[in-house]
Amino acid sequence: MNSTAMGSKKPHRRRAFSRADRTTLTAFVGVPLFFHLLLVWVPAFLTIVLSFTYWSGISISRIKFAGFANYKNIFFDTPAFWEGIQNNIIWLVWFAGIATPIGILLAYQIDRQIRGHKFYETAYYLPVVLSLAVTGIIWNFLLRPDGFVNGLFGRDIDNAISFFGNYDINIYVILTIASWRHIGYIMLLYLAGLKSVDMALREAASLDGATEWQTFKKVIFPAMKPVNVIVIVITIIESLRAFDIVYIIYGSSAGFPILGTLVFQNIAGEGASMKGAAYAVILFVLSIGPIIAYLRTTFKSDVQ
Amino acid sequence: MSEVKNGISRRSVLKGAAVGGLGIAAGGSLLAGCGSDGTGALAFGARTVDAGPTAQLKALVAAYTAKTGNEVTYNATESNAFQNNLSQYLQGTPDDAFQWMAGYRMQFFAEQGLLVDLTDVWNEIGSQYADSYKTAATGLDGKQYFVPQSWYPWGMHFRKSMFADLGLSADTVTNWDEFLKMLDGMKKKGLVGFAAGDKGGWEAMGTFDILNARINGYQFHVDLLAGREKWTDAKVLDVFTHWEQLIPYMNPNVLDLEWDGAMQLLLQKKAGSMLMGSWFGGNFKEQSEADYADLSIIPFPEINPEFGRDTVDAPIDGFCVAANGANNAGGADFLKFAGDMEGVQAMLDAKDADGKSIPMTSANKGQDTSTYDAFQKEQLAVMDEATYITQFLDRDTRPDFAGPVVGPAIQSWFKNPKDVNKIVDTLQAQWDALPPLA
Repeated sequence: MNSTAMGSKKPHRRRAFSRADRTTLTAFVGVPLFFHLLLVWVPAFLTIVLSFTYWSGISISRIKFAGFANYKNIFFDTPAFWEGIQNNIIWLVWFAGIATPIGILLAYQIDRQIRGHKFYETAYYLPVVLSLAVTGIIWNFLLRPDGFVNGLFGRDIDNAISFFGNYDINIYVILTIASWRHIGYIMLLYLAGLKSVDMALREAASLDGATEWQTFKKVIFPAMKPVNVIVIVITIIESLRAFDIVYIIYGSSAGFPILGTLVFQNIAGEGASMKGAAYAVILFVLSIGPIIAYLRTTFKSDVQ
Repeated sequence: MSEVKNGISRRSVLKGAAVGGLGIAAGGSLLAGCGSDGTGALAFGARTVDAGPTAQLKALVAAYTAKTGNEVTYNATESNAFQNNLSQYLQGTPDDAFQWMAGYRMQFFAEQGLLVDLTDVWNEIGSQYADSYKTAATGLDGKQYFVPQSWYPWGMHFRKSMFADLGLSADTVTNWDEFLKMLDGMKKKGLVGFAAGDKGGWEAMGTFDILNARINGYQFHVDLLAGREKWTDAKVLDVFTHWEQLIPYMNPNVLDLEWDGAMQLLLQKKAGSMLMGSWFGGNFKEQSEADYADLSIIPFPEINPEFGRDTVDAPIDGFCVAANGANNAGGADFLKFAGDMEGVQAMLDAKDADGKSIPMTSANKGQDTSTYDAFQKEQLAVMDEATYITQFLDRDTRPDFAGPVVGPAIQSWFKNPKDVNKIVDTLQAQWDALPPLA
């Protein structure tokens, strides 16, 4: 969408395609496009349609038009939605303000080849190899009432530290677990970017007497723009689509509401209703809105 | 979402196995010179992976195969995953017969045409069941869609040895004041009085059920769950007021424990009592015979003398036949066997890996109650005292209300009991926002 917007501002060049070119283009663009539309946009569109209906997910003939009833229900009558939004926002703020910067910092330090950087690189990257679900299982073993940590402190389940059940702290426990993996992910992305920064830039900066921080802020960071865009988009998406860890730890009961689990709780199982579809649409809008806005401003300034 | 995909892919793997099994089974029956009654091989879906119940069901399957020559492919799914996938399962290519629950949860699927009418089966085995079971097996259209396997009551569970140490007996805990006094005594001894878990979102529904039935009576409870009464009624607030009196005696990590965590408290003698369904007796027995022998149940105490102890939550588990299954006749034939005393006996005779019997209170009249062990006799006494039997909150009301609405509402009440007015308001608002039933 953005690339075409960008392309339209560029001067048009005329190019003649041969028949073979056209066939190849049609095959290489058309076939993936067909599957993309079929597997991504058709379901997305159907989800939007379903969010305006009452339906239990069984026999399509029983579907009823509901207008905005599902959305009205979510916004005005469902406290779990606002708790979920709050948790997703805390998640985003934590990722953007703590986890991602730490990942960048680590990448920068490792790129400077500090002592033992190979070890750190492996150690921090290790969690990324695990899927989020596995991460959740591991930490659940560690922190649940009859888990390893409580055992270490000699606590039984009746006086266990309530890592997941104490609602004053559990979001931070969950976020620490999620960050454990996220930091390594960001570090690796950034490290790849840093490796591609021209060494001459650094040398020039240090010859001009720039401090380490000035070099990073004024030289490296701007040169890393494409990676920065990816990191920001990933941070937003990871925060909003969070699901796996929470589902593993809390199950489908939505004991810890976030948008991802609310979608699941309202669309899976016997209690299925199209409120789940409405949650999915809200999540979709929230995810895609800021990303489109961000990409648009970024590419606009590029073109200028 | 990867979880869902995993669930589905595992299911399709099972399906593959089932198809393979069918092929082998078909070959087997060919060799055997065709099945005896033409109903043929079938697939059975179990809603459990626990050792005890699995041994029981496998014994049932083996007895059926031995009798009819029909091979049965046994597919097991963990209970929560089974429930979450059930809609998709029944609309896809389900097992022919599967394990399920009575009441609203069965009626809901029967009404959508996903279950097979088992009236013919009931015509043959109906005389072996009390009328209340037939009612519980009946859909909204008056036909039967369910064959009962077993039942269990919800009540106050405790350990006889601990009760004796505290100088208590079943006769001294019959009303609310005595109950609070009991909890107080346990607390003074450093015990958790009322072990509770609600991480799963359903466990505490049992507490709501029994408090509401004791305080406001069976009729109000049933009417509330059917939407004929309002959640904002002062009577509902009264339930939460009583419930709040129990909080000081609960373990502080209610939202960190699932039902089995609460059970561990009782098993490890850290808690004095627990409100739960008696099914977990099997877990005590797996632990040791001594623990099982120490386990005891009494009815939840009286609160309002007008209603006494006249109501009990006693869910019935059993079997259904999936309409989309490949072999409806075979599924029904299998359930006829499972419901008949012959099949029931096979389950009762089943032994676990250690050669111990597995406790089961069958719905079938034919199970001789004199063979019940002490704990089962107490369960029967709890049932006998009740005039009214309810299933359980998530089996007695709409599925799109129980799980997604009531569960989180009770959890948020545990987070902050002072929010009770807001919570009942949103409960009613969300009931009102439900779509009309088709």
